[in-house]
Amino acid sequence: MKLAFQLAYRNLMGAGLRTWLNVGVLSFAYVLIILLNGILDGWNEQARTDTIAWEFGQGQLRYDEYDPYDPFTILDGHAVLPAEKRDGLTPVLLRQGTIYPEGRMLSTLIKGIDANQTIITIPTAKLKESDAALPVVIGKRMAESANLKEGDEVLMRWRDKHGTYDAAKVTVAAVFDGNVSTVDNGQMWMDIEKLREITQLEQSATYYIASTDVPVKAEGWTYFSQDELLQDLTDMIEMKKYSSSIMYGMLLLIALLAIFDTQVLSIFRRQREIGTYISLGMTRWKVVTLFTFEGTMYSILATIVGSIYGIPLFIYLANTGMGMPELSQDMGVAIAERIYPVYSVGLIFSTVLLVVVSATIVSFLPARKIAKMNPVDALKGKMQ
Amino acid sequence: MSENIISLKNVVKKFPVGDGFFTALKGIDLEFEKGEFAGLIGPSGSGKTTLLNIMGSLDAPTEGQALVMGKDIATLSHKQSALLRNMHIGFVFQVYNLLPVYTVFENVEFSLLLQNHTAAERKKMVMDALEWVGIENQADKKPAKLSGGEGQRVAIARAMVKRPEIVLADEPTANLDAKNAHAILKTMKQLNKELGTTFVFSTHDEKVMGYLDRIISLEDGKVVKDEVVEAQYTV
Ligand SMILES: Nc1ncnc2c1ncn2[C@@H]1O[C@H](COP(=O)(O)OP(=O)(O)OP(=O)(O)O)[C@@H](O)[C@H]1O
Ligand SMILES: [Mg+2]
Repeated sequence: MKLAFQLAYRNLMGAGLRTWLNVGVLSFAYVLIILLNGILDGWNEQARTDTIAWEFGQGQLRYDEYDPYDPFTILDGHAVLPAEKRDGLTPVLLRQGTIYPEGRMLSTLIKGIDANQTIITIPTAKLKESDAALPVVIGKRMAESANLKEGDEVLMRWRDKHGTYDAAKVTVAAVFDGNVSTVDNGQMWMDIEKLREITQLEQSATYYIASTDVPVKAEGWTYFSQDELLQDLTDMIEMKKYSSSIMYGMLLLIALLAIFDTQVLSIFRRQREIGTYISLGMTRWKVVTLFTFEGTMYSILATIVGSIYGIPLFIYLANTGMGMPELSQDMGVAIAERIYPVYSVGLIFSTVLLVVVSATIVSFLPARKIAKMNPVDALKGKMQ
Repeated sequence: MSENIISLKNVVKKFPVGDGFFTALKGIDLEFEKGEFAGLIGPSGSGKTTLLNIMGSLDAPTEGQALVMGKDIATLSHKQSALLRNMHIGFVFQVYNLLPVYTVFENVEFSLLLQNHTAAERKKMVMDALEWVGIENQADKKPAKLSGGEGQRVAIARAMVKRPEIVLADEPTANLDAKNAHAILKTMKQLNKELGTTFVFSTHDEKVMGYLDRIISLEDGKVVKDEVVEAQYTV
């Protein structure tokens, strides 16, 4: 074994350029696999952290009539939770409304939230500090699409409990900057007490945000744990991982094909050498092992070469992050402007294992042929 | 009998050709004693290489028996025949068959790597062998940088480094000029004298015949003449 490894190393070094071409392609596949997965892991981690911080808290108690995927349920999807159940819960009431910035009409989701809350990062304290009659805070995406800035006033129309339309001016008390578009796009946050007042929905809430993960049981309400809330995000990242694995799978395939091709060719071209090994006292299976290890050696060299340029790249990107294109900001999941890749030991270890094992297999497949070679024919170099 | 290092009894070799067979060796009976310096001669296609390959356990007879170092070639496993070649048989080929990516030293060292020697032992053995053939100063060169004569010397050193009982040399001088051919033959004859190694050649070359102590003539897969001769050149 050890000898076959040493010899495989010598043979590869002796083969020069071709070796380094194969090693180069393979190491590129390596670096890309680790980088893409690192970005997705980093994104996942960042998105989870951000979504928890900005939206989900430790869990949510949701009124059953309300379905977050169906805007038509907003109108009636609220109720009064018995007072004794409200410990540690921050109420949120959803209403639909319309604003008229610069004469345009923009439908908005009005989110009333306890202005004293500290569970999520929405700067609700600004709602209290403001002197305006109806202060709201909005996210930067909303600010941009409605062309609003701090201090601006805009006319808002809503329907009260009885369905009667009412309208008033709201004042932008603050514009917050977060990565979570689902608390930002098309939304305005206001003090829940004010929202209840103008809609006459006293005590009502659509859902509650929990400050500790203690499932609350209440008739007509369902508690969702943090993990359940994050399921969509997890699914989406898994999907992304799957689709990007196709991409690097292709690249790995090309690299493996190059090794396979080199092996097929070299077994053909190196027949005399194979015959010589046998005449010097190697068994045919030892020669098979030697040629197989040459393939393994490509992956080992690729690991080394990949580390030489990959590790500095990984470290650099982990520190400075990668800028994400504007476009991806509207994907409905939390994407930061910069994503900081995260490389887990498991990721690196499994990638190395994947590459080494697959390189060994693709070089074993053609090398098996050696076991059937007649040494005399091999020495003549006259196999077809 | 037992002192015969190679013993061939009615060796027949058939190669499959199309639907039938081609019989390359038609019942060869030969004995070689330890320390012989013998040669197979005969026209092209008479079966010289085929016979050497069987003696070297690279091929097995179709019929008859080939005993090499007391071992029946036909019954050896791959592992056993590999071991026999590694420990007891050295090959020298017409085209040298040096491993191109290895240095001269590494080429010669190769069969020792398959045995149990320390690096220091190997170094000593390799340098001794290179000295025998007079190219100890070329140890670090790659084969491509050697002249034909030097290449064949490396091949001889590689065959000799493990001090085998038998060296089988298939037309070793065919690619060499007269001067190099003589030098190489002298070297081999000397090793034959000093180490008692048995040499069996296959050759067309008059120069080779001049060194042989025994000439076996093959024709059409049969031994037609087997005579002990007075070597023309001595060392
Ligand atoms: N693998 C094979 N399949 C079929 N025929 C073969 C095979 N190997 C050798 N032969 C035939 O056996 C005969 C003897 O071949 P061999 O190579 O032993 O001759 P040789 O005496 O060494 O000739 P040369 O002097 O040209 O090297 C030839 O006719 C050759 O064509
Ligand atoms: Mg021949």
